[in-house]
Amino acid sequence: MPVTSTVSASGKDITIKITGRFDFAVQNEFRDCYHSTSPDDGVSFTIDMHKASYMDSSALGMLLMMREHLGGNNADITISNSSADISNILTVANFQSLFKIS
Amino acid sequence: MNENTLTVLVADDDVTNRLLLEAILRKEGYDVIHAEDGREAVEVFERERPDLVLMDIRMPELDGYQATELIKAMSGDVFVPVIFLTANSDIDSMVKSVEAGGDDFLAKPYNRIQLQTRINALMRIRELYSTVRLQRNELIQHQKRLERERQMAKRLFANIIHTGSLDRPNIKYLLSPMSLFSGDILLAAPKPSGGLHVILGDFTGHGLAAATGALPVSSIFYGMTAKGYSITEIVTEINTRLTTILPVDMFLAACLIDIDTTTHTLTVWNGGLPPLMVYDARRLAISLRIPSQHLPLGIIDGESFSRRVQVAGIHQGDRIYICSDGVLETQNRQGEMFGQDRFDALFATKLAPDALFDTILGRLSDFQAGSLQQDDVTLLEICYDQSLLEQRADTVEEEAGARGRLSAVPSSWGLTLTLTADLLKVLDPLPLLIQTLMDLQGFRGQRQQLYTVFSELYSNALEHGLLRLDSSLKANASGFVEYYQAREQRLAVLSEGEIRIDIHHQPDAGGGRLTIAIEDTGNGFDVNSALLPLTENLGHAGRGIQLLRSICDEVTFQGSGNRVEVVYRWR
Repeated sequence: MPVTSTVSASGKDITIKITGRFDFAVQNEFRDCYHSTSPDDGVSFTIDMHKASYMDSSALGMLLMMREHLGGNNADITISNSSADISNILTVANFQSLFKIS
Repeated sequence: MNENTLTVLVADDDVTNRLLLEAILRKEGYDVIHAEDGREAVEVFERERPDLVLMDIRMPELDGYQATELIKAMSGDVFVPVIFLTANSDIDSMVKSVEAGGDDFLAKPYNRIQLQTRINALMRIRELYSTVRLQRNELIQHQKRLERERQMAKRLFANIIHTGSLDRPNIKYLLSPMSLFSGDILLAAPKPSGGLHVILGDFTGHGLAAATGALPVSSIFYGMTAKGYSITEIVTEINTRLTTILPVDMFLAACLIDIDTTTHTLTVWNGGLPPLMVYDARRLAISLRIPSQHLPLGIIDGESFSRRVQVAGIHQGDRIYICSDGVLETQNRQGEMFGQDRFDALFATKLAPDALFDTILGRLSDFQAGSLQQDDVTLLEICYDQSLLEQRADTVEEEAGARGRLSAVPSSWGLTLTLTADLLKVLDPLPLLIQTLMDLQGFRGQRQQLYTVFSELYSNALEHGLLRLDSSLKANASGFVEYYQAREQRLAVLSEGEIRIDIHHQPDAGGGRLTIAIEDTGNGFDVNSALLPLTENLGHAGRGIQLLRSICDEVTFQGSGNRVEVVYRWR
């Protein structure tokens, strides 16, 4: 599965794992991971890029949709374990100002 | 013909047979018409266009095979089933009827059930056939209409997103969309005060949706540049507009640059594009790299939008490069990307500046070597050639002049404006001021001249009067950068002082006489040194005053040099 999500025991942390290419092809799976969560649920999201090989600008757009859905500036989203290439894409777009990058 | 009742043509020279068939068919609810020989069958068919034909084989004039061939040819792509009436089902006549276009056989003696079943089956095929034909025609029509609309939209798009000043000899570019509409945008426009504004942008996605976003970008970019706004203001306006209209997951990665030939500086705002690079024509190496420092446009608006720009000096012959990420993401057949490292390496081989652009294109196409283009690819090179970049466009001013309702009648009016420190910090008053003058009086064909006059007077009052910047800094290009950095810093903390602008206009000999006085609350300067003849004042400093003298009829310094009055005559 290119996109899988796991919920912590408390239900307050959701980790989304991306495997392979992170692009428009996985948009439905990706959206399903957060769509039932509302901004008031106080859920923290981590997007684990450890196994992601590549992301394109449509994936950047998908991240923006997620951020918007989870309350914009109040959204708690961390992007972790990015490869050098993916970090570079995130940095060029200055996404560190919108997401926590670890 | 009743639309719901099927019409059947019975072609048989035997009256008994015909009557028998007619009786059965009528009982089943069909309309029946008949023909007594092959020729008549063709004539009746042509006249009545029945839905189905029952055809005897042996008939005078034309036999059933010949009549069927003619009928089939006549019906074109409409399916009209023909059922052959045979006495016996011998193979020979079957083969001949299939060859003639027959669809089924009915052996004598006729059986009601058998006849009904055959007809029903064929009518189902006919219905299917006509549905498919209808859909096919609709599809063809639809495709034609779509293609016409696409072509029309493309022409319209090309007119609106005209490439502006990109056809100058010092500018080279590659704009290669992967579909009819590009998601990349590349525009250049001359500034009223000389020099050039450029924007290179890359919308998420490509095709029509991406191209639609380019329309407001283009109108804001051209409109505001012509009115003298800075790229800081333009980028802010574009961002606000795009944030409003674009869906959340769509944005514009863009780089805006301002090439200024008066100050020899390059001002850059880069949000989301690969680094801008400057290739030093003398050292044959990269002298400047400005990576993306901001979020792309159309994501956030308001306070958190970062309008900060970077300023750098630039020299005659230097080459400026910007590209969309499609260039770096060009893939070879193994799916490997060209990448920033390969791109950078091209600039490290001491190539002659003239050869660089073509070398880059060559390397890219070698690398790609027949594999499919994945993304829109845009690459731009601008050679810093002062004389070419200084050319000012006059189309814009004509257009703006035509807006002035009073342009034909010079009249008397005056205008006084006091700009306080608080206002100066956040607003460049020149575009507004010039627009107001154009609206009041028209000044057809004078916009650039006026812009230069106001711009020189205003910068003098602000930079020397209020900010106390020292022109001698500007003796070389690196000093220029320092000068403009200091300008930005001091302006940001400016707390007192003001600039007063008095404008009077009088009709004069078929034109008008415009008197402009600008006074600041600063200390003024040594008027005498600034009034040295040009031969003794060749530095960058003082150039403004020379420029004013060349445009205006009178230039006088008053007070301690903190008030300048000029008279500008026009007709």
